[in-house]
Amino acid sequence: MYNFFDQLFVALGAWLVGLVVAAGNGVSKLCCGQPMSEAAAHNVAAGTQVVLICVTIYGVFALCFGLATWLERKMLARIQNRYGPNRVGPFGLLQFVADGVKMLTKEDIVPARADKLVHFLAPAIVLAPALLMFGFLPFGRNMAPTDLDTAVIAFFAVGAGSELALFMAGWGSRNKYSILGALRAVAQMISYEIPLVLAAVPVVMIVGSLSTSQIVAAQGTDSFLDVKGWFVWTPWGFAGFILFLIAATAESNRSPFDIPEGESEIIAGFHVEYSGFKFALFFMAEYLGMMAMAGLGVTLFLGGWHGPKLLPSWAWFMLKGFLIVCWLIWLRGTLPRLRVDQLMAFAWKAMLPFALFNIFATAVWFYLPKTTFLQSAVAWIITAALVVAAYLVISRFVSRRAGAPRVYRYAS
Amino acid sequence: MDTAFIILSLITVAGAVWAVTLRNLIHAVLSLVLFFFGIAGFFFYLNADFVGWVQILVYVGAVAILAIFAVMLTHNLTAEDEPGFFSLRWLTGMAIAATVGAVLWFAIRSNAAMSQTAPAGVASNVADIGRKMMTDWVVPFEVVSLLLTAAMIGAIVIAMEQISHRK
Repeated sequence: MYNFFDQLFVALGAWLVGLVVAAGNGVSKLCCGQPMSEAAAHNVAAGTQVVLICVTIYGVFALCFGLATWLERKMLARIQNRYGPNRVGPFGLLQFVADGVKMLTKEDIVPARADKLVHFLAPAIVLAPALLMFGFLPFGRNMAPTDLDTAVIAFFAVGAGSELALFMAGWGSRNKYSILGALRAVAQMISYEIPLVLAAVPVVMIVGSLSTSQIVAAQGTDSFLDVKGWFVWTPWGFAGFILFLIAATAESNRSPFDIPEGESEIIAGFHVEYSGFKFALFFMAEYLGMMAMAGLGVTLFLGGWHGPKLLPSWAWFMLKGFLIVCWLIWLRGTLPRLRVDQLMAFAWKAMLPFALFNIFATAVWFYLPKTTFLQSAVAWIITAALVVAAYLVISRFVSRRAGAPRVYRYAS
Repeated sequence: MDTAFIILSLITVAGAVWAVTLRNLIHAVLSLVLFFFGIAGFFFYLNADFVGWVQILVYVGAVAILAIFAVMLTHNLTAEDEPGFFSLRWLTGMAIAATVGAVLWFAIRSNAAMSQTAPAGVASNVADIGRKMMTDWVVPFEVVSLLLTAAMIGAIVIAMEQISHRK
């Protein structure tokens, strides 16, 4: 029974592929009088698989995007003591459909002096990395879209494409606020990419592979509970997870790191000049990027699809991702926006040294013996002491100047 | 030649040609990015996916952004005061390009690795690359690291000097 639900989508996919191959054979018999050759059948099966994976990812995560906008508005409303959307559908659940229709029918305004081509291309390009990033995450047992040897670095490489798209949006609009927002976005995303990648390095060090499938496999145990092997339970894993979450929030330009949009300062930053569905695409890219980052966080630190065998593996993956998204929404409703210089100082003076030290602590953990329970406990305590000591020293060092007023170097 | 090679070549060559011919500098930089993607595609085509991803991560993620910042600090974006075709600038540019091209040509031609064909069906392995870098090539690796550190310190020193001048 458990295996049936666990492998439901895998079986469904195999059945659909078989259906397409059978249909291809039928067509081939009608036209040429004989079924397809073995190579042709293989190609048809592989092609169908690719199309199925793409359609599933687009469909599932586009729906998740819609529901996430609803969830975010509802949760923020709860935090701010108001109702939130409650007119369309039960609990306002269909609000995102109404919004989608509204976006589609809105006038598409292009500024007269805009760089037309760049302005047009930016929303399309910004969505591509956000969608591609899902291709590297194993969603469940036997449910990895691709099984690359270099999946983790591929994920970050694809993600790096989005900063260029944001710059194109800001530049193409030919608007002062847009270009300011774009430059803020580029500076912030380049700065936070470094702690983001360095936070993932300890996991790669311990597993000895960049493949997301192998990273998930390394966190699994055969037991029923299947939570013991998660990297978040180790001191370096916990520190790495926190670092990763902070850097991921900054990478997806979400509050408290939303200075590229900064509604109260630069109106809406890089997407001031976008209306209608182009604006919706930016919105979608932000949410999809956030969900993909949550997915990578789950894969690297929270054991991927491993979990107590009460729920199917894919349900565990989605549930953990959902919890991270909820945490991000909670953070957005709680914290005020950072100042630009505080943001940069935090990335370079606090997160970068801490991430580097975390790598060192991971190396210590790696070489400490962990065969008996006592040895593991000692290793855990030593690594934890290293991480906590590093945190205390760095935070004291950084917080000394945190409350200082901003020094204007070029503007005063 | 198969279709993938032709498509990749078209993308790469188009990006490279646009990067040097387009008048709008931002468009030129964006075409350069297209070129970088084409090169990354070639790495994937040659089964070197690690190098391909690093190409995207470093060139699209960092070098392109650097180029954009450099362009935005220049004054004349559309190059209205274009010099004539046979100006001195063109001549020096052509001389430099010819020199660099000749050096690269001879370096590549004299390299023994160029005459070997890749063994078929061997995918690049990240672990192997890492092991090589830490054993056989550790000295060049460290030299490059030192160079990058020196460059970074240099950048910081330049920035710090500006701060003290402003005061």
